[in-house]
Amino acid sequence: MKITALLVLKCSGAGDSSSSGPAEAVVLANASDVSHFGYFQRSAAKEFILFVARTVAKRTPPGQRQSVQHEEYKVHSYNRNGLCALAFMDDHYPVRSAFSLLNTVLDDYQKTFGDSWRAVEADATQPWPYLNEALTKFQDPAEADKLLKIQRDLDETKIILHKTIDSVLARGEKLDSLVEKSSDLSAASQMFYKQAKKTNQCCAIL
Amino acid sequence: MHSRSGQSSYRDRTQEFLTIAERLKKSFSSVPNAPSSSAGSRLEGQKTAVSIQSEFNKRASKIGLGIHQTSQKLAKLAKLAKRTSVFDDPTVEIQELTAVIKQDINALNSAVIDLQLLCNSQNESGNISSDTTNHSTTVVDNLKNRLMSTTKDFKEVLTVRTENLKVHENRRQLFSSSASKDSTNPFIRQRPLVSRASSDSSAPPAPWANSSASSQPFPRKKKNGDPSTSTQPLLQQQQMVPVQDSYMQSRAEALHNVESTIHELSNIFTQLATMVSQQGELAIRIDENMDDTLANVEGAQGALLKYLNSISSNRWLMIKIFFVLMVFLMIFLFFVA
Repeated sequence: MKITALLVLKCSGAGDSSSSGPAEAVVLANASDVSHFGYFQRSAAKEFILFVARTVAKRTPPGQRQSVQHEEYKVHSYNRNGLCALAFMDDHYPVRSAFSLLNTVLDDYQKTFGDSWRAVEADATQPWPYLNEALTKFQDPAEADKLLKIQRDLDETKIILHKTIDSVLARGEKLDSLVEKSSDLSAASQMFYKQAKKTNQCCAIL
Repeated sequence: MHSRSGQSSYRDRTQEFLTIAERLKKSFSSVPNAPSSSAGSRLEGQKTAVSIQSEFNKRASKIGLGIHQTSQKLAKLAKLAKRTSVFDDPTVEIQELTAVIKQDINALNSAVIDLQLLCNSQNESGNISSDTTNHSTTVVDNLKNRLMSTTKDFKEVLTVRTENLKVHENRRQLFSSSASKDSTNPFIRQRPLVSRASSDSSAPPAPWANSSASSQPFPRKKKNGDPSTSTQPLLQQQQMVPVQDSYMQSRAEALHNVESTIHELSNIFTQLATMVSQQGELAIRIDENMDDTLANVEGAQGALLKYLNSISSNRWLMIKIFFVLMVFLMIFLFFVA
């Protein structure tokens, strides 16, 4: 379950209705992890990611989420009032976590940069450290999606509780056997007492 | 008007009743005018009872008529549902008809409930004979039974329709599977996820989504095909996902899962607590047994100590034993020697 790239773009316009209308989407932030490609393919892969990101961002209408399948990657995009966040990930990453991740990225971007992104016309070249951290932190979908984390914790708790119940049942069995043994012991001691009393009484004559 | 049905549990004796009523009226009018006011008030009392009763009858007859019409519409729907084929799917009509029938059934249900309330209020408020109450309750039960059977038929028709749709969907996939291969095409676009605005509008059709989920993607595919082919030469194909899934719905589902997991956990905890308290009882029993044992053993030890004391300190006992031994020796020697 791998995130290959996270991008934030500014895309104006309606998206998929006209081909000549809005301008190209402008890249505002880019963080990609192309380490699994060969050394010479890395720059090509980066270009490719930029291109696909621009295309998908242009095609995403504002206020909508989209998932596009491309070879073995899934591209999830979320357009919110002209600010578009994209994520390139493999097929195993759960879709819901991807979108909540995009939500967090967008929130953070707006917190950090306010509305200054609306004025940007050329591709931003400085890296945004938050995005790089996010890329590494959110490789595990549970980090991005609180629901997933909660579900996982609950499942673990359930397993632990099942084990607990099993051990409580075993304890119950042991307690049962202890009860039996102690009742036998009590009976035996009673016999012992009676016997002792009997010997005490009967041979006093003799 | 009394509705006749094959399973009615009453006989229609209206004519006898009417003749008796006329006879009684004649006997009333032949009585002199002194008690006529009381007779008049009694007649009026009867008339109001009769008017209430006829109100009840009118509503019951309306409901019966409604049920009959609904079952006719249902028969039409069943015919349509059976008739569907792969290419000539009268989806729109079926959906409209299903919606209309559902509304009718709901309205009839509420009408029957109102009728029952009216019947109960009549029974309490009055000077009405027990036969009337009996009659009203019978009529209400009859109407309820008919409405229930109509609802059951409706549900069966809906299941038939969903099965038909599933069969058609399978056949469609069989025949059109060559057009939907996606492993080799690099630019395949999946069905876009529904946005928040349209997810609200997709919730009300949810009850019918079961029966028409696979008929919906058909028009959607067409709609999405046109703009994409005109503006995107690169994104060539689209793939239908048969199951309706959206971001919001998956989140809601996840929340439901979390909630149910928490419920299960609480169940498990209560069971655990019960088991532990039961075992606590066992532990108490063990404790009591051990106390008994301790008491017994101590008593026995005391008795044995006494015995030991009595034996070790009783000289008289020693002399007695010695004496007995001597006696035995004597007898032994006596017999042997």
